[in-house]
Amino acid sequence: MSAAHTRVEKTPTAPARKPSGFPLGFYRYRNYTLFAFTAIPMAISLAFLVAGVAALGRGEEAWTAWLAAQSSPALNALHIVCLLFTLYFAIRFGWVGRKIGAGRIGPVPPPPLPLPIMGVAPIGGFVTLWIVLLVILGGWLA
Amino acid sequence: MKLIHKLEPLWWILFGAGGFVIGFVLPALILGVLLLGDSSVMSDGLSYPRALRLALHPLGKLFLIVVPTLGFWHCAHHVRHLMLDLFGHASAPLGAYGGYGLALLGTIATVSAVLAL
Repeated sequence: MSAAHTRVEKTPTAPARKPSGFPLGFYRYRNYTLFAFTAIPMAISLAFLVAGVAALGRGEEAWTAWLAAQSSPALNALHIVCLLFTLYFAIRFGWVGRKIGAGRIGPVPPPPLPLPIMGVAPIGGFVTLWIVLLVILGGWLA
Repeated sequence: MKLIHKLEPLWWILFGAGGFVIGFVLPALILGVLLLGDSSVMSDGLSYPRALRLALHPLGKLFLIVVPTLGFWHCAHHVRHLMLDLFGHASAPLGAYGGYGLALLGTIATVSAVLAL
């Protein structure tokens, strides 16, 4: 049998294991886990919004009732919690954006602006769009 | 799980696009519709005739389909990887099929709700 046909054994390795302190024992792990967890409250909010669209399709009475239901204390508390998680997601997502330009092959050029300032740009873009959307939804310019 | 791994680029595209969409609009939607929707601040803007007019506009329909749909797929992918991190590879099928299955249900519900307008 030629060498090409010889079955190469895999190098024995230890089974994968979690890093020490994962998921909440170290602040970077904590932030990472919290960032991933934001998916659950965000999905809940999205589901509520889809229910709102469905209510809109059922007529004025259903729409008004759905809007009124959202202002119950329990749902208000839930929406506030979901909003906080969503804001954490958006700010962290935008904050990561400042590093995108730094990842490249070859000599790394210095960023055009200090990294903290570059992080403000995407977050500023997000906030601007939130305000624009609120103005459209609220009909405040009409 | 072979198909799930084969389609990894698709999950990543949906995940990335969903992240952007959520970052761009979801905080304003939660604040404006879910939290303030019933208040006097939004009473004119979200009155039934105006809300329906916004939703029936072609751009409004596109918005109402794209935002929840991409958002659901983003969340599904994030939850899948959170489960992998927390519970290891034994949870991989549940994370993948459960998460993407729910995202598919969310997509169907979203499209049906928008088409019923």
